[in-house]
Amino acid sequence: MATTTASITLSSSDLLSDNLSLSSTMTLYQNGTTATGLDEVNYHRVNIPTGTNFDLIEESAALTEDASYVYIILKNTDVTDYVKISINAEEIGRLYAGDWLFMPWDSDLSAAANDSSIELEAFTHEAVVEFALFHNGETLVTAADS
Amino acid sequence: MATTTATITLSSADIMDNPISISNTSTLYTAGTNTGITETTGLGRKKFATSGNVVLLDGGLTSGIAADVTADKSAKVYLKNMNDRGDGTKFVNILLAAVEIGRLYGGDWMFIPWCAASGKDIEFTASDATETTIEYTCFYE
Repeated sequence: MATTTASITLSSSDLLSDNLSLSSTMTLYQNGTTATGLDEVNYHRVNIPTGTNFDLIEESAALTEDASYVYIILKNTDVTDYVKISINAEEIGRLYAGDWLFMPWDSDLSAAANDSSIELEAFTHEAVVEFALFHNGETLVTAADS
Repeated sequence: MATTTATITLSSADIMDNPISISNTSTLYTAGTNTGITETTGLGRKKFATSGNVVLLDGGLTSGIAADVTADKSAKVYLKNMNDRGDGTKFVNILLAAVEIGRLYGGDWMFIPWCAASGKDIEFTASDATETTIEYTCFYE
């Protein structure tokens, strides 16, 4: 097993009347375990044109009912550029230039879920996106010529 | 304006052949500007003991803790499941309206943008009815 940690620090000296300093670190474990880390990762960088809502991370049978974690960052520098992040047509929110997210993800192939793929649409300009999926296995597509 | 930053570090010495270390800091700006976000719900802590669905941040309401969050801007939400990991089977399902995002096990945190439009509530459902403690904060305009 692997040991992967995710840490966050939120800080501000002037948002409130006192300093804000919040930190947290978690280890990425497999579902139903207390010490077995996630063993697999996909790490990508893509350029995404405007005008189309794309599946950024596709649902997979092997990822259902498990612990998976997603990191996405918009690398654009123009402050007017943003991307919309959605699941099953429900918009989670917008990442503007330089923004990132980190969240758990449960790929759900049930009929009720309809589509649990993580979707992304770029606005204003082409989006340069880096993203990672930490997971416990995924279903690869059988080669068409196999 | 205020300057608020969010820093993430993802690191592993053994998930791949070579170590990975991903680190980025974003400054929380209002939508499409270089002006820092100036409002927050503050850090909140909520305990609940139910396996039923619970609305944490209610998008689009005219009252309540999330009432001032302007929809379709650059709001960000931090959530953490403060419980111990236990045997690794207890978790909280985080949902956006009726759509499941994913599971926060004990000790897990998440940081996401939030569109905050009407009906786009951030909700959670625990895997059982034992007490769960959630900490959260929302930065918004």
